[in-house]
Formats: sequence, structure tokens, C-alpha cells
Amino acid sequence: MTIVTTDPARSPGPRGEPGGPRGTAIRPSRLRGLRETVGRFIARTDGLAGAVILAVFTVLALMPELFVGPLETVVSATGASLEPPSAAHLLGTDELGRDMLNLTVHGARISMTIGLLATIITIAVGAVVGIVAGYIGGKLDIGLMRVTDFFLVLPTFVLAIILAPILLDIIGAEAEILGIRATLLVIVVVIGLTSWATTSRVIRSQVLSVKERMFVDRARVIGTGGARTMRRHILPNVVNLIVAQAVLTFAVAVFTETTLAFIGLGDPFAPSWGQILSAAQAAGAPGLRAWWYIAPPAVCVVLVVLAFTLVGNALDDILNPKSGGRR
Amino acid sequence: MSARFLVRKVAQSALTIFAIVILNFFLFRMMPGSPERVLLRNPNLSQRVIEETRKRWGLDKPLIPDQLVAYVQSTFRGDLGYSLKFRGKPVTEVIGERFWPTVILIGLAEALAITAGLLIGAYAGWRRGGAFDRAGNGMSLILYSMPYFVIGMPLIIIFAAGLGWFPTSGMTTSGGGSAGGISVFFDFLRHLVLPLATVTLGLIGGYSILMRSSIIETRAEDYVTTARAKGITDGRVLRTHAFPNAMLPMVTLIAINLGYVVGGAITAEVVFNWPGIGTLTVDALSARDYPVLQGIFLLLSVCVVVANLVADILYGFLDPRVAS
Repeated sequence: MTIVTTDPARSPGPRGEPGGPRGTAIRPSRLRGLRETVGRFIARTDGLAGAVILAVFTVLALMPELFVGPLETVVSATGASLEPPSAAHLLGTDELGRDMLNLTVHGARISMTIGLLATIITIAVGAVVGIVAGYIGGKLDIGLMRVTDFFLVLPTFVLAIILAPILLDIIGAEAEILGIRATLLVIVVVIGLTSWATTSRVIRSQVLSVKERMFVDRARVIGTGGARTMRRHILPNVVNLIVAQAVLTFAVAVFTETTLAFIGLGDPFAPSWGQILSAAQAAGAPGLRAWWYIAPPAVCVVLVVLAFTLVGNALDDILNPKSGGRR
Repeated sequence: MSARFLVRKVAQSALTIFAIVILNFFLFRMMPGSPERVLLRNPNLSQRVIEETRKRWGLDKPLIPDQLVAYVQSTFRGDLGYSLKFRGKPVTEVIGERFWPTVILIGLAEALAITAGLLIGAYAGWRRGGAFDRAGNGMSLILYSMPYFVIGMPLIIIFAAGLGWFPTSGMTTSGGGSAGGISVFFDFLRHLVLPLATVTLGLIGGYSILMRSSIIETRAEDYVTTARAKGITDGRVLRTHAFPNAMLPMVTLIAINLGYVVGGAITAEVVFNWPGIGTLTVDALSARDYPVLQGIFLLLSVCVVVANLVADILYGFLDPRVAS
């Protein structure tokens, strides 16, 4: 098992979830519902810790130049080859003499951007398929769920490995779309295409229960069309689930990007953490005991994946009626 | 279990495998110009030779149905084509050579990880919130967030490059073959330790996290309360009442994961240069050896589909409510 395929995502976090003010007499308004959710989230230490870690990495990803200056290249490298940590280079240098701190901080932007874009694709496809299949039902539902099950069974990681070079061959490695280099774009698309199935399953099952509610019937009776009903009545009621699912998907996306980059599908000109680790492996850093070349990107990957998982689990426990209700 | 349930599951799996074969065909025909492009790499080819080769390979016939039918037929005959990287060796042979190293490594790792993961998860869930739970579950979540190579590289730095206890890469010491049987075996074991530790650590987290939540759910069941009320000791309630029932969801996970055994832990094999299917995948990828990639994808897909089928049937036996 190389990708996070199974369902510990569904599992509860390390600490029990406190009850929270569930049985209030008045039906909470949307704003109060939000405040309640935030309150219950803050009460979960694990989720909160994850959120703090993510906040730090988000700041790094948004403005890496502010902390370490522009990304160092072979030309602008400031040190000698494979220097251990020193006052000049706090985290040492890589085999090209680039400062590891500089690379790692810039890696945050690349890894998180790819993760974000892949998550958006995954969630968009998964949500649309889930909502349409669940709401319309019938033959369309059966057909869409067959496709979903097919993608759930497929060894998606190997499929991703095969799809990436094929897509690159088709669009050309030098191409740029919306200012994003093709290599990165392919990774984003491949992760999206191979991981939407879980989301669509989860959302469909929630849609099935939402569409039986009274307000959906009422909308139908007064003549609201299918598309409008899905947008205005179904979507708002599964948005909780989509948020929790998106955070968990983000963890998987960063993990998958790191692994794909490590086996050589990354972009050498856009060093994500996985790409840095791939370079470290190619330079023989483990055998040379150049731990400073490996530790910074590795620690960052683990921290970010762990943080997203913690936040996702906490949100899932709070927002997902299925997993919340079982305790 | 009803025969209908069985037939339906088998039919579904057969259909899925068929769909995968067809997907495989179209995936590799999507590439621009391929497979003619391979031919045209030689600029000295005359138009006549190209035409003849196209004819011999059946490329002059339409994609659907002729080429598709021919592809499906030869695939089911076990002919997966020829490798580009390994000088025209049959794909089945190329994959076959890498099969056992991977199965030994991942099979052993799965066995170790399942044993350890289930025990850790069960005990952590049973004593939920206790010191063991916090440490065990915390470690599991961290390990679960680590790709194999993030586990493997530090192990090399510490135990291979640093302490020198184990070799850094490969499966055997080259040139050490003359020493005779038993020392060859120990040489193999020395090479096995670090990759095995890496893959095991990478797998433990998933098992322990799921087992923990399964035990937590089981613990709230009435029959556990009943067992307690009868005055059975705490340890026995866990062993004889909670554990077997909590195993139910685990059976599915284990069966499905065993389907992935042949795929190998790709990045773990790369880090240790273990000559298995994982390194083959990466080598084929960098050489753009599509026939081999296609073969690996097919082999792995079939294994995963069969594993899913086994999981469904097993589950039907263990929990008859599912199969009815």
C-alpha cells in the first residue's frame, strides 16, 4: 500500500471528542452553527495543533521570499557542495551548493500549491458525481457508481505513474498552461483523476439522506428544476462533508505528490519537497550521511500530511453526521 | 452464503478485469503517433519497410474492432508484448524475474505489520485515552504520514552508512556467490533487514489506526457489556469477545492489501535498490518502456481485483448479513 487508500481517515483522532452544546433548545442559525463548530474544533487539541502547523506552512508558502530571499538556482547557489549545517547555512547545502533552508521554504510553496490544485480537482469531480448520482438516482446513479467502484478498485498509484508520462507526451513537457509548467500540471491532473472516487461515494450517501427531507420535496412541488435544487438545497447541506473531505484529500494529495516527485515525475525547476528528496537520493545523500539534505524536506512532508490528517479527522468527527453519531 | 451472491461477485470481478484490459489498450493508444513513432526513430527506413512493418504488426487495420480484439486475445493468452528497454525480451519474462524479491519483501513486511498493528491498535483502543493509547496512536499517525522513502533514508544513514551494520543497497553482495549456501543466505538476510523494517514501519500505522477505531466501536456493543457483567476478567473480554468481532473490518483491509503485495512498496525498493517490481516500475518509467509499465499495471490490477473478490467472499462468510 503506497497511497493512503484505506480508511483510517475515518478514524477518530487521538483524543475523545467532548460532547459540545448539542441539545440546545432553539434550532441554531447558520452563524451559530458555525460558532458551535469552531468551538468544538478548538476543544480538540489534536485538530487545533494541526491547524497551527498548517497556518505556519501557509505563511511560508505565501511569501517564501520574505524569509529566505529568492529561490537559489545552480547559478545563484551561495555555498559549496554538501556543506553540513553552519552559521552561514543553518541547514547545510545540497550537492549544487544551494542553501537547504532556502530550498525547503520554497518547497512549501510548490508542494502546497500542487496539493491545493489537486484537491480542488478531486473534490470538484467527486462532489459533482456524488450529488448528481445521489439526487437523480436510477440508471444514471447505477452507471456513475459502477465507474466509481471501478476507480476504487484500480491500483490508482500505478495508474498515476503510467498516466503522467502519457499526458506529458500528449501536451509536451515544455508547454505552459495558465503559467503553470506542464510537468506540475500533469501531476495535479493525475492525482485528481485517480482520487475522486472516495469523495463521490461519501457525498452520494449523504445526498441520499438529504434528498428525502421535507424542504427538498417542497422545492420540487413549487416547480424548482433539478439543477437549481441540487445547487440551492442539496449542496448547502453536504458542504460540511465536502469541507472535511477536502482537508483529508489535501493530506493524500501532498503525500502522493511527494511520492510521484520522488520517483522522477517531478519538475527539477520547481523543487517541491518530494523533488528535493529525489535529488538527495540521486546524489547518494543517504550513503554519504548527508542527513541535512534529507531531514528538512522529509520533516516538512510528514508535518504537513500529519497536520492535514489531524484537522481532517477532527472536522470529520464534528461535521460528518455518520462518524460523529457513533459515539 | 447464497450462490447468487457468489456468482454476482465473481461476474463483477470478471467484468472489472475485462474493463481494465480495455482501459490498458486505450491508455497506450492515446499517445501521439505511437507505436509508429518507435519505428520512425530510424530516419533511414524507407517508406516501403514502414508499410510492411505496419502490415505485419496489424497497424494498417482499424483501431476498433480489429486491433482491440487482437490485443484482448493475446492478453488473455498471456502474451503481454515485448520490452523496449530490455532489448525485446518478453514482458512476462522481465516481470517474472522481479516477482519473487518483491513478494518475499512485502509478504514478510505485511505479516509483521499485521501482527504488530493489530496488537497495538487493539490494546490502544481498549485502553482508550490511556498512556499506551496516546503513545501508540500518536506514533501510528506519524508513521502513517511518512512515505516509505522518508522512513528508509534515515535508516540507511544510521544503520548502514553510520554504524555499518547492514549494506546500503541491493539484495546480495556481488561476487560473493562462491562462498557456498549458508553464507549466501545470511548475506541475503543482512540485505533484507533494512528494507523489511522500512516497509513494515510504513504499513503498521494503517493497521493499528483502523484496528483501534474498530475496537472502540466494538467496546460499546451490548455483548461486551454482557461479558463484563458475567464477571469475566478484562483481558479475557478483550481476547475472546471484543478482538474477534473487531477483526471483521480488518479482514477486508488485510485481503485488499495483500492484493498490493506484487506491486511492491515502490519507493522503498528504490531507496534500497531492491531488485523487485517497484524498481522495475521506476526503471521502465524513466526509459518510457510502456509495454512493461502496461504489464505491471495489468498484473497489479488483476491481483487487486482478485483480492477484493476474496475480501467480499470472506466477509460474506464471516458476516452472513452482507451476503443475504
